[in-house]
Amino acid sequence: MKLDIKTTVADTLTSDLDSWLTEKDGRRTGLLTSIDGSEVMLLLLDTQGGTAELWCAPVPDNSYTSLTLKFPQLHWFERVLWDLFGVVPLQHPRLKPVVIHEEYPQKFYPLRQTEWQDNGHNAVHDEHHFLEVHGAGVWELPVGPIHAGIIEPGHFRFSCLGENIVNLELRLGYVHRGVEKKITEVPWQKAHFVAEAAATDTACANALAHAIAVESLLDLEPPLAVQSLRTIALETERAAMHIADIGGMMTDIGMVGLAATMSRLRGSALNLAQALSGSRFFRAYIVPGGIAAYPTASALLQAQELVVSLKKSLRPVLTMFQENQAAISRMDGIGKLKRSLAAEFGFVGVAARACGVDYDARRHFPHGLYPLKAPPTVLETSGDILACTNVRIRELFASLDLIEELIGTSRFDGNSDRAVTSLPAKLPANKQSCAVVEAFRGELIHLLLTDEQGNIKRYAIKDPSLNNWTMISIMVRDNLIADFPLCNKSLALSYGGNDL
Amino acid sequence: MLKLLTYLLAQKKATLSDVCPPLEASARGLPALTEEACTGTGCNACAKLCPTDAIAVVDEKTDSGSAKVAIDLGACIGCGLCFQNCPTGTIAQNLSTRNARRKREELVLKNDEVAVLPEANTGNGSHNPFKYSLHARVVSTGCSACDLEIAASGNPIFDIERFGVHIVASPRFADALIVTGPVGKGMQTALKRCYEAMAEPRVVIAAGTCAISGGVHRNGYTDAQGADNVLPVDVYIPGCPPQPWQLVYGVLLAMGRQSCLKPEEDVILCHPTQPTPHPFPTQSR
Repeated sequence: MKLDIKTTVADTLTSDLDSWLTEKDGRRTGLLTSIDGSEVMLLLLDTQGGTAELWCAPVPDNSYTSLTLKFPQLHWFERVLWDLFGVVPLQHPRLKPVVIHEEYPQKFYPLRQTEWQDNGHNAVHDEHHFLEVHGAGVWELPVGPIHAGIIEPGHFRFSCLGENIVNLELRLGYVHRGVEKKITEVPWQKAHFVAEAAATDTACANALAHAIAVESLLDLEPPLAVQSLRTIALETERAAMHIADIGGMMTDIGMVGLAATMSRLRGSALNLAQALSGSRFFRAYIVPGGIAAYPTASALLQAQELVVSLKKSLRPVLTMFQENQAAISRMDGIGKLKRSLAAEFGFVGVAARACGVDYDARRHFPHGLYPLKAPPTVLETSGDILACTNVRIRELFASLDLIEELIGTSRFDGNSDRAVTSLPAKLPANKQSCAVVEAFRGELIHLLLTDEQGNIKRYAIKDPSLNNWTMISIMVRDNLIADFPLCNKSLALSYGGNDL
Repeated sequence: MLKLLTYLLAQKKATLSDVCPPLEASARGLPALTEEACTGTGCNACAKLCPTDAIAVVDEKTDSGSAKVAIDLGACIGCGLCFQNCPTGTIAQNLSTRNARRKREELVLKNDEVAVLPEANTGNGSHNPFKYSLHARVVSTGCSACDLEIAASGNPIFDIERFGVHIVASPRFADALIVTGPVGKGMQTALKRCYEAMAEPRVVIAAGTCAISGGVHRNGYTDAQGADNVLPVDVYIPGCPPQPWQLVYGVLLAMGRQSCLKPEEDVILCHPTQPTPHPFPTQSR
C-alpha cells in the first residue's frame, strides 16, 4: 500500500506513539528503522482497518530517547537501527549489536548516508558481552554459531541451574549478507531476486511482498488469475514448511518413522511447487507486475492431483502423531508462553496464535486473494509447544484446502490474463509503499522508498523472526535444557531473515 | 506402536532407484550453450536480464561465426531468463542434474572453445579414500534453502546414505565440509575454525551458487564472495538452491564415485516449446 511520510518530533515520540497505539484496538508497530541515518522511521499498522502509517522523526545528533523503555516490542529493532545507521537509542536497557560483529571496522554503519556526528553517545561495537547469571550452581553452556544439524548459524548462551535454563541469551548476525543495501544497488527490475533471497525458505512470501510494494507505487493491479496463482504459491510454501517443521518435531521427539514419512511428503509439496513454477522453492516466480510463467493445463491437473493425495497421505500420519501419548507428554506444558508477554513483545505467527493472539495478516492486509479468501484464524490458548504444533497442523490442512479450492475454481485462460508485459524503466520519484504478507512464520513486511530520480533509496525487510527471536528466550525459561531443541523447533525461526 | 508399524510396512518404497536422472520437464534447469550462432551485443538480452551479471557477450567472432558468449554457472541462480529470452537458441535449458565440477573454471561455459570433457567426468583418477564412506559436516552461512535441500537429499526419496554418506554433528568426525551460503564476514572465522578442526584428508564442497561466488550477494560490503574466498574448495555444486540430485552428484564427485552412475549425456538440452514473455523490458535499463 502507498504511504505518506508524517514528520514527527523525536522528543515526543514515546508519548505520540503511546497515544496512537492506545487510541484504537488492533494497532501495532510494524517496524522501526531509518532512511539514511538522519531520522528514526516508524511503520505503524492498523490491523483492523488494514492500513499503515509512516512516521519520520529527525534525529540530527544521532540519538533519541529509546522507545524500548515504554514499548518492549521495539528492543530488537533499536539494536539493528544502531548497528546499521549508528543512531543511538539512549537508555536502551540492553543495547548491543545484532548484525555488525567485531569483524567489521569500528563505527562502520553500512546503511548510513549522512555524515556521522560524534556526540559522545555513540557507544562502540566492542567485544560482545553476554548477560551473566551468578550464584551457586549456575553454569553456562555456549552453543554455536555452527549447530549440530543442518541449519543456519547463531550463538546461544544458556545459563543453567542444574538441568533448568535460567536465562538464554542470543547472539545472531552471523549470516548478515547486506540484503537491504544490495536491493538499493541493483536496477529495480532485478531487485526481486535479491528480495526473495532474504530468506529463501520464505522466497515466495518475500517475492510477493516485494511485488506488492512495487505494484502499489506503479498503481498496478494484477489480474485475478495472477492473484489466484500467487495465493496458491504462498499457501504451497506454507504447507511445505509446516510439513518440514512438524516433521522436525517428530525427529526431535524421536519418532523417526513418522519423521521420515513427513520428509517424503514434504517432497510432494515441493513437487507441487515445481509443477506450478519450475522451482521447488518458487524462485523467480512471483515478479512485480505478475508471475514469471503460467502453468499449463496439465501442470494444473498434476498440481490438483498432488494436493488431493497429499491431504490424504498426511491425515493418518498426523493423527498417529497427535494421538501418541509419548509425543503429547514431550510437548504438553513445555515452553509455555503467556499471552500477555506475547502481546507486549509483539510476537507474530504460529506461536503467537498458540497463546491466543488473534492476528493473521491474511485477514487484515490485502495480498493475493486476501483478505477475501483468508481462512479463519487458527487459535489455541495454552501457549505451550503442543498448542503450537496443533495450530501448525490445522493451518497446514487449511492451506491445502485453499490450494485445492483455488486450483479447482480459478479460471486461468491463457493470454487474455497475462501479466503486464512491460514495466517502466524508473519507479515514481519520492514515493513510499509497503506490503504486509502472512508468511509461514508470520507477519512479513517490506517497505520501499524511492529518491528524486526514482531509484530505490531505502528498502527495509521485517522478517517475522525479527519480532519472534525474543520469544525463544522467554519460552525456555525454567524449562529443562533437554527440552530446548523441541522449543526451538516449534518456533522454527529464521536466522537469514533476521540477519539479512 | 503397532498402528505405526502397520502403517510404515504398508508404505511402498519411496526411494528412487535411478540415481541422478535428468530433471523433470516441469523443472527449470541451468543454462547451457548450443552450437546456434549468437548475433552479439546488438541483442544482449541474456546479459541484460541476468540478475547476477553471470553472462558476457562480446562481438568478436568464434571460428563458426558466432559472437562469443560466456556463462558463469558459478554465479547463475537458475532464474531461466536467459534461455527463455534467447532469440537465436544459443542458450538453452540443461535438464542434467550432473552439474557439479571439481574446478571453478569448469563452471564457466564458453562457445569459443572446443568443449573438453571436464576432468570431473573422466573417471576416478587416483585412489579416493572416501569412495565408500564419507562423513560430512554441513555449515550454513546463508538463507537456508540449500540446507533444506541437503536435508532433503537424505530423505527416503533421494537417500544419499545409500552411498555411505552420513551427515555428522562435529567437524572432528567429518571427512567433508559442505558449505552453503555466501560466507559473509560474520561466518568467516567460524568456518575457518571448523575446517581447521577436521582431520586430514578432508574435502570441501561448496553447495549452491552463493557458496561458489556469493550469488546475488556478491560484491557487497559483507565480503560475501563464496567459500573459496576463505577455504580451498574441492567440488562446486551450482544452483540456487541445487536440487537434491544435483547435490547427490556433487557429493559422489567428491567421493570419486560419479563413474558408477548410469552413463548420461553431460548436457541434456530442453528447448522451450513456446517462449515465455517476460514482464521486464529487455532494452531499457
